[in-house]
Parts: sequence; C-alpha cells; structure tokens
Amino acid sequence: MSEDIRVGVYICHCGINIAGVIDVKSVVEYVKTLPNVIVARDYLFMCSAPGQELIKKDIKEYNLNRVVVAACSPAMHEPTFRGVVEEAGLNPYLFEMANIREHCSWVHSDNKIKATEKAKDIVRRAVAKVRHLEPLDKITSEVAKSVLVVGGGVAGLNAALDLAERGFKVYLVEKSYTLGGYASRIGYLDKNIRGIELVRNLINRISKNPSIQVYTGSEVTDVEGSVGNFTVRIVKHPRFVNEACNLCGECVNVCPVEVPNEYEFNLVKRKAIYIPYKDAYPNRYVIDPESCNRCGECVKVCKVKAINLDEKEEVIGVNVGAIILATGYRHYEPQKGVLGYGDSKNVITLFQLQRILADDGPTNGELIINGSKPRSIAFISCIGSMNTLPDSASYCSRMCCISSLKDVLKIKERYPDIDIYYIYKDLRTYGRFEDLYWNSLDKAVKFLRYNDTPKVKVGKDGLEVQLFETTIQEYLAIPVDLVVLVNGMKPPEDIKDIKAVFKVSTGPDGFVKEAHLKLRPVEALTDGIYLAGAVTGPKSIIESMISGSAAASKASGLVSKDYISVEPIIATVNEDICSGCGLCASICPYEAISIKVSDGKRVAEVNKLLCKGCGACAATCPSGAMQQRHYKDIQIIAEVTALAKGVVV
Amino acid sequence: MSGDGFEPNIIVFTCNWCSYAATDLAGTSRKKYPYNIKIIKVMCSSRVSPEMIFKALSDGADGVLITGCHPGDCHYVTGNHLTIRRYYLVKWMLKELGLGDRVDLEWVSASEADKFVEVVNKFVNKIRELGPIKLREEVIKKP
Repeated sequence: MSEDIRVGVYICHCGINIAGVIDVKSVVEYVKTLPNVIVARDYLFMCSAPGQELIKKDIKEYNLNRVVVAACSPAMHEPTFRGVVEEAGLNPYLFEMANIREHCSWVHSDNKIKATEKAKDIVRRAVAKVRHLEPLDKITSEVAKSVLVVGGGVAGLNAALDLAERGFKVYLVEKSYTLGGYASRIGYLDKNIRGIELVRNLINRISKNPSIQVYTGSEVTDVEGSVGNFTVRIVKHPRFVNEACNLCGECVNVCPVEVPNEYEFNLVKRKAIYIPYKDAYPNRYVIDPESCNRCGECVKVCKVKAINLDEKEEVIGVNVGAIILATGYRHYEPQKGVLGYGDSKNVITLFQLQRILADDGPTNGELIINGSKPRSIAFISCIGSMNTLPDSASYCSRMCCISSLKDVLKIKERYPDIDIYYIYKDLRTYGRFEDLYWNSLDKAVKFLRYNDTPKVKVGKDGLEVQLFETTIQEYLAIPVDLVVLVNGMKPPEDIKDIKAVFKVSTGPDGFVKEAHLKLRPVEALTDGIYLAGAVTGPKSIIESMISGSAAASKASGLVSKDYISVEPIIATVNEDICSGCGLCASICPYEAISIKVSDGKRVAEVNKLLCKGCGACAATCPSGAMQQRHYKDIQIIAEVTALAKGVVV
Repeated sequence: MSGDGFEPNIIVFTCNWCSYAATDLAGTSRKKYPYNIKIIKVMCSSRVSPEMIFKALSDGADGVLITGCHPGDCHYVTGNHLTIRRYYLVKWMLKELGLGDRVDLEWVSASEADKFVEVVNKFVNKIRELGPIKLREEVIKKP
C-alpha cells in the first residue's frame, strides 16, 4: 500500500439492539489491534447527529482516510455514512460498513460470547476491505434533449405528443407507410367512437406539432450508445410517391397488379400503388416494391409528376437521450383449414369483422358477407389464446372478449333480427366492461361455454358449429351463416430484430419484458429505454394510451436533466495486462465491453454508461486485467483472508 | 482433530440483490442460524471467481457457500447462469484435488429468509460431518 492508510472504526450500540448482545467495549479493544486502525470508538447511535459529528471530527483531527462503521445493514445506513464521510472531505467510497446487527446480534442473541467473537470477525473483514478501497468518481454524461419513439400506433402517438408538448424533440419512426396502427382500422370502439376518429385526433395534433419529426416506411436498424445519449440509425424505405401527390387516383386505375390488401385484413384486393386507407398519414399514395412490376404506367398518367420509381432508401442518423419502444402486437392469424377458416368465405376473423362494420371498410359498414346479410352468427372466442389450438398462446389476449362483445352489440343495434351465439372458453369482460356482457344478455345473445375447442363443418348449405357445451353437458350442433373467429394478439414477427437492435429481453410469451412488472412497468431492463402499449403484452387502447403517457413521463424525467450520473461501481480494464481475448465481452449481458485496438494491441474497453457493475467479467478474466471497482480481486481476497485466516492483509 | 465438536469456519458469498437482503430479513425476523457462517457481499454471484473459493479453503475456511438469485431472476439478467457453470467446474476441481464436497450453490431470493436459514443449517451440518480439510495438515505443513 503506497499511501499512508489511516482507518477510523466506529462501533454502534444501536441502543440495546447490538450492545445488548455484543460486548461492544471488547470489540473496540480488539479493533485497536488491527493494522492501520488509528482510532476506534463506540457510541450509542452512530447514525444520530452527534454520532455523525463524532466521525467527522475524528476524520479531521486524526487525518483519517478510511472509515468503517460497524452497525446495521448497509442497506439501511450505507448512504447515510457515505454522506458523512463525503461532508468531512473524504471520497464517499472510502467507507465500509460492518453489519453486526442483522448478521450478528439479532441472529445470535442466544450466545453473547460467540456473538462477540463473530462481531470481531465481521469488523475485521470490513477493516481488511477498507484498507484496499480506492476513491471513485461519480460518472456523469450529457443528456440529449430528444426522444426516439418507435411505432406509430396509439401508444407511440400519445407518447410522442406528450413529449413534444413538454418541449422535447421527438423522432417518430413507423415501419408501415401510415401512422395509426391497428386502432385506425377498428370500425367501432366502445361507446360508438370510431377507431379512425381517435387516430385522426392524435394525427392532427402530431402533424401540427413542429417538434415531432415523423418517419413512416422507416425502420431503426442500429442503436449505439447508452442512456442519455443514443445514436440511432433510421433507414427510410422509398415510397416512390412524393409530396406533390394530389390523391387524384389516376395511377390506381392504370396499375395492372392486384394483391391482397393487408390493411383490410385481406378481405379485398389493392393495387401495387395504393393508399393504406382514406385518412392515412402522410396522406398520399405509396408503391409496394414487392408487388410492383415497374411497368411505368402510373408514371405516365401522373399529371403532377409525383412518382419516381428510382427513389432510393435514405439513411438518417439521429441522437436521442431516451427511446420509447411502442412496436405493439400483431393479430393472430388462424391457419387455413382450421375451424373452416379459408375453406369458407363465411368464416372470418374478428379483425375482418371490424373492417366490415367500419364506415370506411370494404362494404361501407354494411354487414354483407359474400353478397348477403347473415341471419345467424356464431362468435368463437379465445382463438390464438388460452391453448385452444396447437399454435395458440397460453395467455389470455385480454381484449378479444370486450372487443367482440362490443361488435355483437353493434350488430344487434343495427340488425336486431340476427341470431347471435357467443361461444367462449372463458369470458373476461373485466372492470366496467362487464356491462357489455349484461347488455348482450339483454339482447338475447346466447352464451355457450366450451372446454374442448369447437369444430366448424363447412357444408354445401352453410356452416355448422359443433361443440360440447360444458354448462348443460350436451353436444350441440348449431347451423349458422357466419362464423367469427375471435382472434387474439401475439408478438410481432420481427420481435427478434427488435430485441437485437434495442437490446431488450423478452419473456416466455415473446413480448418484451419490463424491468419489473410492478415497480418499473414501463421501463426496459436497458436504462433509457421505455415501453409503451402492447409491446409488453396484450393491452386495450385505453391501456395503451395510458402506458404511452407513462413512458413519455418517464422518458421526459430523463431527458429533462442536463447530466446524468451513474454508480461508479463498474468494470475497469488494466490495459497493460489485457490480452484482448474477449472472454469478458462474450459474457457481458449488457454488451458493455468491446475489444478495441490500442497502440496495435487488442484490449477490452468498458462503456461506463452501459456497465451495470455485476462483476461477471472480472471473475471471468484469465489474467486479472478486468476488475470491478469497489469489488476488486484484491479487495475481496482481503475479506476472504480476514475471515478464513483471521488476519488483515 | 476429529469430527467430534468440530466447528467449521464457513464463508458465504451473498448477492447484493437477493441473498444479502435475505440475510437482512433473517436478522430483522430474529431468526437463528449457526454463528459459523461469515458473510461476504458481492454485487452478483457471478463475481465469485474460483480463485476466491480456493483462497478461502487454503486460508482455513472449511466450506464455501455461494448464494444467488433464482435462475431467471438475476438482477443482471444472466449472471447466475455463469455462476452455475463456474460452480460445477470448481466442484469438479475440488473433487479431483481430494478436498471433498465443500462448496455449494444455493438460490435464495430477497424474501426467503427461512430458506437462507435452512440452507446454511444444512451446509454447516454437512461440513461438520466432513470434518476439517485433512490436506492442510498432511500436505501444507504448518510452520
């Protein structure tokens, strides 16, 4: 040890909590025999104001440069005493706590002699460690005053608006060619609000807000940096149609290519040049490069010269302090042939039904299937959820019961003569949505419960739903004109890419995992990344809006700071002995370690802001080049020797 | 030294986030456990290197117990996965060296004070039965 180590040790009585069991005076006398201990004292309550003053006075008087307090758990008072030490002019990390209350007097009160001996061991460990402790400086970094919002569904839109209204710059990136997400395509929400009305309201406000930069048809391909300072690479795919487009529609008339329209859930076809839907934002046509045959007919008829088939993708780099992931969900699509789906046009999904009921849908809101109005409808719920089918998820998709019963009521309101059977595995109209169930009962909707997934027989004369009804314990065969498969939610297909780009982890169901379900529900495990909407699992529009606001609030809490400081207990490399083998980098769960070439030599480098200080790399390093500050090999070995051998080294 | 009346000296490594909190809870709940155990706190069980375990045994500890978060609950995502792999390596090495089964790994969450008491009791009894490390007397002769 190069410097002159001067340790002060303070033993707390904690009233009788410690002193009632441990012979404090004999511990003090013992401690005085330990190397480098300049002063050792005991006091009734070290954490009290006079106790704290005692330590401060001694630090100055005896010129102490290390302090040990033997008292309660560090979880209780370590911050207190670090503060005391800092106020006396010492680095707060030159302090060590010896836990002689929770670890000794409270658990060994039956044997005062042995408890006292153990207390000496515990204090010796702390003295051994404190001698090797080094001052640590707080790590600070500047915070970029901007936020990236990924996903243009209701959660992302609401988060972007909240942030922009607080004065932060927002980059809103949406993969498809319009903002709005699923909500824009749901014909009716509860209380007779149209999905598109809700989305239009949000989009109007976004389009008028100069702080929000919208990128549609764009993807985030790379995120570097860390909390407070992320460098983001956005790839903007070509739209082939520029702002000059006046929506005349001539191009659509001449386009020879027809493909299923994914915005109408494949109910109808669209051309290779199309507009996602009437109120899409940005409100202009787009060419789908997958299906376009580049015939050039649209270019010829476009009077305003808005079409450029040679448009290339654009790469944009932005710098943000925080990221909100609002990438949402995808609907579960039943496999062809399952429950008659694909075999009969009269078997549709809930998402398709919601388009059919929509004013701007393929039938302008009329319930017309295959040219005629159905006389009877069977809804079969839990499709894609609750293990009903071999490829179903095990979770409840949460929204389907509510969403489908809302449509049941809409149909009953418009067409009271249609018979409706609602065949469910479990009915979860939680909270105030219970009204939907009671109102449906009032409208004579027949509720039937199944345990084994029903079958749908597609015959010449129509459909027949076969099930074993568990309440009346009977097999039923119900002829109907229309079957609606109430399909649920699942994680997006590209969740693997999302995981890789944003370094977030997913749970067993494939949705992104929160840092803590209850304590940190809108934060990802990676600092500076927040989660909004159905990215973490099935959510209603209301819940998505709420979590969008919550994530925005959390993100603005971060980006409103000028600087952030992080705990300095992190990994550090001794470049002189690092061989650059990269073992540390391969096991780091945060990808905080990279291998760089310095003076022609490969060495590990730790990103101070990404490192969370677990120390796994330090234990893995074969040469001891990688160390964890405050838990260095030499520090822990000193503790080990103090306890195993009984000597302070 | 025979096994009779032998009181082992045991080092317990605890994770800052789970088992250390469990030791605190054991204290606040006034539970009782053998005084033989001496606790060293690390931020994660994955910080415990084989060197630390061997150093403990060569310095006079009779057993080393590593405690960490349950698999899947690691505060640092995958730290305890590394601990498991390292633990089996150390166990195998100790067996090869003829030191016997003196290192254990247990999962103890922050709320499992009862489990902490249970595992340390079990471990202390196990080491009591094993007796002191003979190798020390026989090979590393005391001065």
